[in-house]
Amino acid sequence: MATVSQPVSVLEALRRVRQEAATYRGIWSWIATVDHKRIGILYGVTAFIFLLAGGIEALLIRLQLATPNGDVVSPEVYNQLFTMHGTTMIFLVVMPMASAFFNLLVPLQIGARDVAFPRLNAFSYWTFLMGGLLLHASVLAGGAPNGGWFGYAPLTEFPYNPGHGIDFWAMGLQILGISSMASAFNFIVTILNMRAPGMSLFRMPVFTWMTLATAFLIILAMPAIAVALFQLEFDRLFGANFFNPVKGGTPLLWQHLFWIFGHPEVYILILPVMGIISEVLPTFSQKPLFGYPFVVFSGIAIAFMSFGVWAHHMYTTGLGPIANAAFGVSTILIAVPTGVKIFNWLATLWGGNISLRAPLLFAVGFIAMFVIGGLTGVTHSMVPSDYQQQDSYYVVAHFHQVLFGGAIFGIFAGIYYWFPKFTGRLLNEKLAQLHFWLMLVGFNLTFQPMMILGLMGMPRRIYTYPQGMGWDEWNMLATIGSFVIALSILVFMANVVVSLRRGEEAGADPWDGRTLEWSIPSPPPPYNFRRIPVVRARDDFWHRKYVEGPGGRPVPVVAGGAYEKHGHQEDEEHIHLPSPSYFPLICSLGLPIFALGFIFKDYALVAAGAVVILYGIYGWALEPATEG
Amino acid sequence: MTHQPRLAETTLETATGLDNRKLMMWLFLASEAVFFGSLIATYLLYRGQSLQGPYPEDVFNIPFTSVSSFILLMSSATMALAVGAAQRGQLHQMRTWLLVTPLLGISFLAGQAFEFTEFYRQGLTLSSNLFGTTFYVLTGFHGAHVSVGVLILLSLWAAAMLGKIGRHNAINVEIAGLYWHFVDIVWIVIFTLVYLLEPL
Amino acid sequence: MGLDALRIDKKITFYLAIFLPILAVGLAGCGVDAPQNTFAPAGEVAEKQRTIFYMAMWPAVAILIGVWLVLVMALIRYRRRPGRPLPKQVHGNPVLEVAWTLAPLALLLGLAVPMVATVFDLGRNPKAEALRIRVIGHQWVWEFQYPTIMDEKGKPLTILGTPDRPPELHLPVGREIALEITSGDVIHSFWVPRLGGKMDAIPGRFNHMWLVINEPGVYPGQCAEFCGLLHADMRLIVVAHEEEDFQRWAQEMLARQSKGGG
Repeated sequence: MATVSQPVSVLEALRRVRQEAATYRGIWSWIATVDHKRIGILYGVTAFIFLLAGGIEALLIRLQLATPNGDVVSPEVYNQLFTMHGTTMIFLVVMPMASAFFNLLVPLQIGARDVAFPRLNAFSYWTFLMGGLLLHASVLAGGAPNGGWFGYAPLTEFPYNPGHGIDFWAMGLQILGISSMASAFNFIVTILNMRAPGMSLFRMPVFTWMTLATAFLIILAMPAIAVALFQLEFDRLFGANFFNPVKGGTPLLWQHLFWIFGHPEVYILILPVMGIISEVLPTFSQKPLFGYPFVVFSGIAIAFMSFGVWAHHMYTTGLGPIANAAFGVSTILIAVPTGVKIFNWLATLWGGNISLRAPLLFAVGFIAMFVIGGLTGVTHSMVPSDYQQQDSYYVVAHFHQVLFGGAIFGIFAGIYYWFPKFTGRLLNEKLAQLHFWLMLVGFNLTFQPMMILGLMGMPRRIYTYPQGMGWDEWNMLATIGSFVIALSILVFMANVVVSLRRGEEAGADPWDGRTLEWSIPSPPPPYNFRRIPVVRARDDFWHRKYVEGPGGRPVPVVAGGAYEKHGHQEDEEHIHLPSPSYFPLICSLGLPIFALGFIFKDYALVAAGAVVILYGIYGWALEPATEG
Repeated sequence: MTHQPRLAETTLETATGLDNRKLMMWLFLASEAVFFGSLIATYLLYRGQSLQGPYPEDVFNIPFTSVSSFILLMSSATMALAVGAAQRGQLHQMRTWLLVTPLLGISFLAGQAFEFTEFYRQGLTLSSNLFGTTFYVLTGFHGAHVSVGVLILLSLWAAAMLGKIGRHNAINVEIAGLYWHFVDIVWIVIFTLVYLLEPL
Repeated sequence: MGLDALRIDKKITFYLAIFLPILAVGLAGCGVDAPQNTFAPAGEVAEKQRTIFYMAMWPAVAILIGVWLVLVMALIRYRRRPGRPLPKQVHGNPVLEVAWTLAPLALLLGLAVPMVATVFDLGRNPKAEALRIRVIGHQWVWEFQYPTIMDEKGKPLTILGTPDRPPELHLPVGREIALEITSGDVIHSFWVPRLGGKMDAIPGRFNHMWLVINEPGVYPGQCAEFCGLLHADMRLIVVAHEEEDFQRWAQEMLARQSKGGG
């Protein structure tokens, strides 16, 4: 073999990889994909695996706390467990699940063929995976982080936490932040710039609106935690004094920066799910969302107001009565737009023709559980009573109520709703019902006792508790409940396996849907729409199926649609799609290498990581976006 | 039909009329504003709180920093010239300004490096006090952003020398210009708040 | 069809099954053997905080029941039955929507008034004649100092916990206590639930809180801000006495402290 032919054959091999990837078959077609639908599935499956990891961590926590003076795990392991559980569930489960939905749905709902920056989209996924892997790699390097998901300084500073765990946590979160921000930029540009003709902003589905609001929250909130994490790492690795009281620094700076991010973050977690609910309820009631403008504006209001409440996480830090009162009032007020949404959802159901299929059950479960969570949030906003509730199990109950009872139930509503669209098969309804009831019972058994525990003075983040506090029975109940939840997840997994193989075929529109994604085949072809639709109304697809008859009731249109379809006519062969690329993956690979170099102060590794990243960037910039 | 345009393509029609990449750069700059805002807020929070020296008045050399600030400011002017030349298809001028701008940026960075080594020599380190911590991190991140900008501009210059940048894809120069101007504006804020307002 | 009806009945049953434990909150709050129970206040501050909680809790329970009722009624009354026509496509009702925006706003602003008043009440400076106590958090024991009770060498009476024994903070009843709370290392939080809410112990600063204890008794507490490995073990016990008994205790402790070499 002459050396001259070696570089040529390597290039040739890479070109063949790209060609194979474009056929949508084989492993390369997943590794080099830039198709938003595939990226959505990658996000969803990866997030689900992390859900199992976070769930096992939760079960271990509950086993340890089932009885007083438990010794299932040591205090050190316990502290690592709850740190990883929280960090995993927030950053590696709920956020990526939302990204899965953004990816799968937004281009379809706005009538586009893909997102604005398909390779950046792939990069977002791979970077998410790298961040999650780096975070978990900490276990191999001396132990997982143990400072809580909120990482308060000075506990997370080097003198009190000399191992590498916190560094893995900080670097992992930075990488995850890059992933989220890249995704957010992509979706804002996509939603603003790539809507089908006739789709004004106020004709967009609510899920797309909530995606837009969430994306703005991400790009404006994540830089604050990025700065906080940089400051923490500069303290830990290079001896800076950001949070060092000895040199005059204040630990409260960490808390301010963290919560300026952290509070918008919880709305980042819930707004997409509120969007999902706003899609499921109208479809299964067969009437439009009640008060679309109010629902959209309240989402925007929540996003804005979320930046003005952060110090309600700091009421007990001694900020003084003026600050506490001000943040108390702003926090109380944010309940208003949230309440509006709940009332609008109820009014959507009222007067409808309600089908009690799985997506609707989970959506109703969401409303029932989320309203408890929201109301307990109002009790938190009453500052003096929060002096008792803060850092107790009452808080744990509150946020699980909104993040599990809310976000997770809503995510399952979305999964049952849209699974048929992307796989072509319906999930089994009986197993779905079993999943729902088990999960509802398990959830309440687990978390309602925690409200009581908090009010009875049980603090959070404790690896054990003594007898005689009145806490024993409630803890045992909570542990039992957690295993019922686990069982319900197993039922769901069985459902997916069974349904992928022999589920009922769904067809394009199994639910008599209202939005554009139901107008194309299930699963959608790579190009989504053969013709880019011209949009005439909100819920455009519904209006193509039905016209308004007497009494305002819809009457199905016989054939061809309520109005003529215009639009770009394209033959399948002439629709150009973005070509697959492996440069996003290469770029992503460089990030953990770069980070590991800093963690271990190995600057050769830092340089190597930088080289990989730069190679990825230049390759990406110079490669043609479409081939032929 | 939607796909990512390569360097050699024109802008597609978008619902807002703004090119996708330009819109994205604006969004990115908004997030950068929050990023630098947090670092600047930290600096201001800790201003005057150092328990021991060296203090700013001990180390600052305002005339020197004024000169390097001026150089950076000039680079924004040359950047604007590069954008204008690109949009008018004046390739020779575009190439010139696309080289001069990063060279001015490098001069600014050299000035920063010199300043930092001077401060270090006078005992100001990352660990010495709050001033060292907040100053080096804030200006260091800014310098890192300038460096990335220099890399982007030199890459554009190289592409221009290879004939790949012209009127049809002037938007690439424009977008780089947005980033460069932003980095310059951040410096103006830093220079004002950190250096010039120090005596107050 | 019949199955649907079954589901609805199950739904009501399950909602009740969820609701009842929440109701049990009130019942559980009746003390029993729960020494850190926030529903069994033994001091003025804890009482005021519980009052504020009730102000939010009862309207919250009412709203919760209301929302659930509407939900269940909708699911029963409007469930899909074969042959039922498609429903009227109602898009909204601006008057109703404005009403259900303004009504909660009014309720919440109403709650805000007593809330803000209590914030300022609880956040006021302690009275001049209050008994000063300095609280210092350490990983993982509490330390208490009595700056106005000094031994012969001029050192304040100091109580330090050990890993096996939580320290006892002895206090007089009926008299205002002014706590000055700080930490010697990481952030902790001082919490004795039956006496009042918590206040964080932050290195490099003093946080202030006042308390008044109603009756003699034993009131346990523990650290309420995650502070590392043995955060769960960082407990304390407040022992409240009538004034005379407290003075006697203080003198005894001072004597012990002087003898022990300060």
